[in-house]
Amino acid sequence: MTLKYLIQKEFLQIKRNAFLPKLIVMFPIVIMCVIPWVMQMEVKNIVVDVVDNDRSTGSQQLVHSIEASNYFIFNGQKTTYKEALNEIERGKADVVLVIPQDFAKNVAKGLTPQVLIAANAVNGTKGAIGSAYLSQIVMANALPSTAAIQSRVSTLMLYNKHQNYKLFMIPALLAIVMMLMTGFLPTLNIVGEKEAGTIEQMNVTPVSKWAFILSKLIPYWLIALFVVTVCLLLAKLIYGISPAGPVWLVFLLAMLLALFFSSFGLIISNYSDTMQQAIFVMWFFVVCLMLLSGLFTPTRSMPHWAYLTTYVNPMHYFIDAIRTVFIRGGGFHEIAHQVWALLGIGLIMAAWAVQSYKKNS
Amino acid sequence: MNAIEVHNISKSYGKVKALDDVSFTVGKGEVFGLIGPDGSGKTTMFRILCSLLCPEAGSATVDGFDVVRKMREVRCRVGYMPGRFSLYQDLTVEENLKFFATLFGTTVEEGYDSIKAIYSQIERFKDRKAGALSGGMKQKLALSCALVHQPSVLFLDEPTTGVDPVSRKELWAMLGSLKERDITIVASTPYLDEVRCCERVAFLDRGKVRGIDTPDRILSEFADIFNPPGIEHESAGKVENENVIEVEHLVKAFGSFHAVDDISFSVKKGEIFGFLGANGAGKTTAMHMLTGLNQPTAGTGRVAGYDIRTQYEQIKKHIGYMSQKFSLYEDLTVAENIRLFAGIYGMSDAEIARKTNELLEQLQFTEHKNTLVKSLPLGWKQKLAFSVSIFHEPGVVFLDEPTGGVDPATRRQFWELIYAAAARGITVFVTTHYMDEAEYCDRISIMVDGKIKAMGTPDALKKEFNQPDMDHVFTHLARQATRSGD
Repeated sequence: MTLKYLIQKEFLQIKRNAFLPKLIVMFPIVIMCVIPWVMQMEVKNIVVDVVDNDRSTGSQQLVHSIEASNYFIFNGQKTTYKEALNEIERGKADVVLVIPQDFAKNVAKGLTPQVLIAANAVNGTKGAIGSAYLSQIVMANALPSTAAIQSRVSTLMLYNKHQNYKLFMIPALLAIVMMLMTGFLPTLNIVGEKEAGTIEQMNVTPVSKWAFILSKLIPYWLIALFVVTVCLLLAKLIYGISPAGPVWLVFLLAMLLALFFSSFGLIISNYSDTMQQAIFVMWFFVVCLMLLSGLFTPTRSMPHWAYLTTYVNPMHYFIDAIRTVFIRGGGFHEIAHQVWALLGIGLIMAAWAVQSYKKNS
Repeated sequence: MNAIEVHNISKSYGKVKALDDVSFTVGKGEVFGLIGPDGSGKTTMFRILCSLLCPEAGSATVDGFDVVRKMREVRCRVGYMPGRFSLYQDLTVEENLKFFATLFGTTVEEGYDSIKAIYSQIERFKDRKAGALSGGMKQKLALSCALVHQPSVLFLDEPTTGVDPVSRKELWAMLGSLKERDITIVASTPYLDEVRCCERVAFLDRGKVRGIDTPDRILSEFADIFNPPGIEHESAGKVENENVIEVEHLVKAFGSFHAVDDISFSVKKGEIFGFLGANGAGKTTAMHMLTGLNQPTAGTGRVAGYDIRTQYEQIKKHIGYMSQKFSLYEDLTVAENIRLFAGIYGMSDAEIARKTNELLEQLQFTEHKNTLVKSLPLGWKQKLAFSVSIFHEPGVVFLDEPTGGVDPATRRQFWELIYAAAARGITVFVTTHYMDEAEYCDRISIMVDGKIKAMGTPDALKKEFNQPDMDHVFTHLARQATRSGD
């Protein structure tokens, strides 16, 4: 019964906080309205300089097809390669295409002319994908026969047919929301009570460990559920995206992740004495968990030793499972493995959290 | 020339007038006291004189420089020791001193002569972190840091709150020696013996100067505030012959350091037991063991009939506790705080509502029922925290320095509450640094270096050590400490 009074207290304190309620409302809105537009792996607007040493109809055609492409911004013709390279150095161009002399003639003769593509690879993705696109266009122009073959190889993009990155990113954003709401807020709350000295007063009352810890977690779990619901509604309203699989599975996964993050946060708060220490440790682990989870980069392309860490990374199981449900429309059966793994890790952390909170030392 | 001249200074925060047309002057080399209840504007006055705040009206000069227009000059000539410990806890004693010297563009060597008398007492701990020093030593270090740039005026804002009587006496002896070097000192303090160390004092009350005169005249003119009549306490017959707290050979060791070193005592039901000791003598550690926050290393103890080793969760149901750091949840209202703690002790909603109204009426506090605790004055917070700690009618209540930093009249009101609780049969276990409060207790013990050196009624102790009052008894015993404030 004491739980009632403790939870009431937490909600009152959240309400009295000048900043927190605003953040809780603003957070899902900003995340859902802004981030999906920004988090794209697609490369667009690549600035191209062309050095045309041929100046024939053939080379002009090639230049036109670059101009026509959605992916490129044609920056104009340069007279020498050196001049074009200079543009790259000053950051005004991303890729240089050098068309050799007699390009059209050689194509007509059936020879393979040497076209040079120089890309600025400081931003690796942009450089690599830009030059790949460009060579496709060159190939299509120079050797119409290979282009014909390519059109016969059909790539079928399963599940996410239009390679919509928003559909890919929204489940990941849910993970980030859960992490901040159920991981950081309870941690800082408990360390805050330590700094204010009020936790000492709590420790001399007969309040049980469980009641105290649950009173810290339940409010934030409820808030997280609210935030996830808002996120799903916004995704539907703004992008017309809704989970392909059952919605209850999305909520189940979110709650399992909440179990892990809140237990993890509690463990950190039990071992930290200051906010500074708690937030720094928390942030360190969160960044590692996120970058190793496959949220941004495919886990399979990691080095083997790094890939091994994904077996204990709850974020990885979550991302895997939620993408399966959200994008592929998988049911419980498809994600059973991830659900059990998340539950297992969550329970171990929860046990540790309760064990490490000491009312008597 | 006067060292400080204050003319018609006013300052308000929103609707609250912190200072209202305040004027006074302090002569060169004078020891001047600013006294008054909590919230009377003392700290605001200090901050204006240090050029940290701008006054709304009026002007002030320090050492001949205007505090608004000649900020730089003022800051070079002023040493300021704010109320709360102002040093870097993670730096060592020496590093702190060096840092403050650098701030003022000087070096420790250059300023060494001016701080030698004080710093030499703590110099052997120069590699220790400031956070690990005892209260008295922290004050000495803070004073050294405030003096290292050889200021001509020194401001001390309640420098001795939470410091034991012996360390306080040492600090004031040092301030006396500064006078010989013509350093002007302005200090505020809630302790009457310190007020008497000043040459003149200004009594501030709600932002207004009520009087400026020698300490004796001010103290007798405003005797109702500074020297309230003692409280009649007729409990002698009421104490029952049943032990509520029994402790035998209790030890708490942190590594090789014995914070509490083999103490034994017992407290009877309904008794007010004063648990005295210098800073670092082990009082708080002992109290933590009795309240179930800490496990003893050795020895046995029973509180309210339960074993402190094994049944500490049972003990927590039957005690109340008020820590020195705590005064309720600041962001909850008065009624919400009461409701929370009553709820934790398992009281029903109806019972809580009824008792809350009773309590607030009794405290004459009904109109503040829905006020946030953070906007209450310190004295009220303390009274409220005490009332909350006994709201569930515990058998014993533990109070850890409950009255730090408030004026004598407010402390007296607090003790009336303690007597009322004792009359209801609640045993009171209290620590304090105020020796007048020690006289209010039925029985006291004095801890030195983790051991209990004396125990008995105040009168018996005075006789035993042949001293006129508790202050002298305490000083006599605490001076024997060898732990040097670890």
